[in-house]
Amino acid sequence: MPTEIKLPRLGQGMESGTIVKWLKSEGDKVEKGEPLYELDTDKVTQEVEADASGVLLKIAISSGEVEVGKTIAVIGEQGEEVAAEPEQKDSGDGDSAQPVDEDAQEEGSPARAREHDREEGRRASSRMSEQVTEIRQPSGDNGGRVKASPLARRIARERGIDLSAVAGTGPEGRVVAEDVERSAASAGPGQLTAPAAAEGVEVQQLSSMRKTIARRLTEAWRAPVFQLGITVDMGRALALRERLVELNADGNVKPTISDLLTKVCAAALMRHRAVNALYTGDAVELHPTANIGIAVAVPNGLVVPVIPGCERKSIAEIAATRAAVVDRARTGKVQQADLDGGTFTISNLGMYGIERFVAVLNPPQAAILAVGSIEDRIVAVDGQPAVRPRMELTLTCDHRAIDGATGAEFLRDVKAFLEEPGLAL
Amino acid sequence: MPELSYREAVRDALSRAMREDEDVFIMGEDIAEMGGSMGVTQGMVDEFGPERVRNTPISEMALAGTAIGAAMQGMRPVAEIMYEDFLTLATEQIVNQAAKHRYMSGGQLTVPVTFRTQGGAGWSPGAQHAQQLESWFVHIPGLKVVFASTPTDVRGLLWSSIYDDNPVIFFEHRTLYGLKEDVPDELEPIPLGKARTHRQGEDVTVIATGRLVHEALAAAEEAEQEGVSVEVVDPRTLQPLDEDALISSVKKTNRCVVAHEAVTRGGFGAEVAAVIQYSAFDWLDAPIERVGAKFSPLPFAPVMEEFVVPHQADVLDAIYRTVGRNAN
Repeated sequence: MPTEIKLPRLGQGMESGTIVKWLKSEGDKVEKGEPLYELDTDKVTQEVEADASGVLLKIAISSGEVEVGKTIAVIGEQGEEVAAEPEQKDSGDGDSAQPVDEDAQEEGSPARAREHDREEGRRASSRMSEQVTEIRQPSGDNGGRVKASPLARRIARERGIDLSAVAGTGPEGRVVAEDVERSAASAGPGQLTAPAAAEGVEVQQLSSMRKTIARRLTEAWRAPVFQLGITVDMGRALALRERLVELNADGNVKPTISDLLTKVCAAALMRHRAVNALYTGDAVELHPTANIGIAVAVPNGLVVPVIPGCERKSIAEIAATRAAVVDRARTGKVQQADLDGGTFTISNLGMYGIERFVAVLNPPQAAILAVGSIEDRIVAVDGQPAVRPRMELTLTCDHRAIDGATGAEFLRDVKAFLEEPGLAL
Repeated sequence: MPELSYREAVRDALSRAMREDEDVFIMGEDIAEMGGSMGVTQGMVDEFGPERVRNTPISEMALAGTAIGAAMQGMRPVAEIMYEDFLTLATEQIVNQAAKHRYMSGGQLTVPVTFRTQGGAGWSPGAQHAQQLESWFVHIPGLKVVFASTPTDVRGLLWSSIYDDNPVIFFEHRTLYGLKEDVPDELEPIPLGKARTHRQGEDVTVIATGRLVHEALAAAEEAEQEGVSVEVVDPRTLQPLDEDALISSVKKTNRCVVAHEAVTRGGFGAEVAAVIQYSAFDWLDAPIERVGAKFSPLPFAPVMEEFVVPHQADVLDAIYRTVGRNAN
C-alpha cells in the first residue's frame, strides 16, 4: 500500500504551511526519517522528514501554501500504482502541481492507463458541470436571493466577491465553494492588489515569516504598553564575565555578557513572577520557570528561540543552549520546539552600538527587555567624577498584565544583580 | 491477537468483568441455560452459576426495576432486554427511575446499571422485533447511550458502560453478531463519548452508527473509485456525543451525510445534523444528507424489508448528492 504524505501540524495553531521546495524528486528512493521537503510555517522554515520508506511515487503539491492534513505526496514500492490522485481542489495560491500533460503521458503501461481513465472521468464530470453553467447563467433571479452554500457565502464574503455575479453549478444552480474559487481565479489577482510597481522598484513578496512578523507586531502594537528605563554600572558584570572566560574549559562555549544577563533576568523573574507572565485575553498566566527568548536576526527576518528553564541553568549551560539554538536559527534549521513556550524576551542591539531603544512586545508575553551597548561614561562616584562602563536597559510592559511599580521592582533587581552578581545567587 | 465475533466480544467483556468483580452480574430472559435468544451469554451460567447469571420472569418492567434497585444498592448489574422493541415495557423504570435518581437525590444515589439490548433488520424479524429506538433514549437526560459497530468497540465500550456510574442503554445490532475481527489480548476500555474515525477522506464525511458504519465503509470504497474521497466516522456513544470530532471532520470535508438504520424522521441523525449545521454552518458546501429507514413499520416480507431499510447504495447516493453528482 502506498503511503500518502500529508502536511503535518508542527505546532499548536498551525493551519497551513508553505512548501518551499522538495529535497527529493519523483522516483527517488526515500528512507523514513530522511529530510523530504522544506516547509515554511508562521514561525520557522524547516526540513520535514519522510514518515515512510520507499520510493517517492508522486509529488502532489510541488510548492505553495497547503492546509494541514492535505496529501502532498505519495511514497510506495517501486512501480506501484498511485491509487487515487490526491485532491487538488484548494491547494492554495495557484502554485500547486501542474495538471498532467496528457500528450506527454507514457503510453502502454496499464497503471498509467488506469490513472489516465480516472483523470478523464474527473474531467468529464467537471465538463458536465461547465455545461450546466452555460444553461444556468448567473443565478440572481431567485426572488432577489442568490442560492449559495454557507461555505460559498463565507468565501465570497472574505474575498469581497459579489455572489450574484457567480454562476452556480450545484444542485438547482446553487453556488458552491468551487464556483466562487473559480470566479476568484478568473477575476485575477490584480483586482485586490496595488497597481503594478514602477520600474526599478524591487517587489519582495512577504515570506510566511514576514507575514507572521507583520501580523504579530501589529497585534502587539495595539497593546497598552509603557516603558521603564534604567542605567546599570557594568564594572562587576564585566569582571565576572572575564573571569568566567578565563575559567572556561576548552571546547565549551564562551559565556557572553548576554548569557550573564539571561541568568540575571531569570533570577529576577523568579523573584517577580508577575513579570514572567503571559496575557491571554481573559487571564494572566504566571509561569513557574523562566523560559527566556532571545531575539535573533536571521537573513530575512528575526526569530526568537527560547532557552527554557534559565533559572535552573548555570551560565555555562545557558551559553551552550544559546549557542546551539542561535546557530540553528541562523542556519534556518530552527525547529518549532525551539520557539515555543517563551515567558520573557530579551532583545540586545548593544553589539551595533545602539545605546538605547524600545522593543515591541512579543505577545502573549507581558514584558520584553531592550538592551543597549556598554559605554564608558563619566559619572559621579562618591561625589567625584569617574569613568564607568554603563549600560541602558529599557523594559516594555503590557499594562494589562503589569503595573508600573511591578515592572520597576523587577528592573531594579536586574540592575542590582548586574552590579552585584552575588545577589542573584 | 485472538479473533472474536461481535457476539463473543460482548461475552468476553461480561465474563472478564464478572471474573474480576463480584459486584457485576447479569440478568435477563432465558440468558442462563439457553444462553440468551441471540446466544450472547452461552456457557456463562456454567462458569458463574445461577446466582450471577440470573434468569428472570418475562416482565421487562420487573427485571429493569430489579436491576435498577441492585445498582442503587451498590451492584453493577447488566440486564439484557431481549429485543430493543421490548424496552417499551421497561420505559417507566428506565426513564422515570434509572435516569432520575442520581439527580433527584442530589448525588446521594448512583444507578450504575447497564441495559444491553439488540435489534435491527436484515433477517425478517417483522415489525415488532427489529426497530431501532436509540434516539428515544438520547432524549432523556440522565442516561448514556452506546451503539457499537465492531467487536473491538463493543468489548471496550461495554466494559466502560459497566463501570460508568450512570445508567447506560447499550445497543447491539442483530446482524453484526457474527462479524469477526482480531481484538487485542488485553481488553482496552474505550471511553464513552469518543468517536472513531474509520476512514480518512477529503470530500464528504459520513457519520454512521451500528450496521450503517459497514454500509458506509463499503459505499466509501465505491465512491473512491469515482474520485470522491469519503471520511467515515462512528460516534459510538450517542450520549454523550463527541461533537468536536464530528464538527472538525465536517469542517475539513465541507459536506456531511448522517446514516443509521432507524427511521429518518426524528432519528438520531436529526440531532447530529442540527449539531453540524449550527457549529459548521460556514463550512458547509451542501445540505446535510440523512440516510435512514423509510417511515414505515418494518415489513416482514424480505424484499419489502430490504426496500424500507437503508443499504450501501443509499449511502452512496447521499454521498453523490452532497458533491452534486448523480449516481449511475
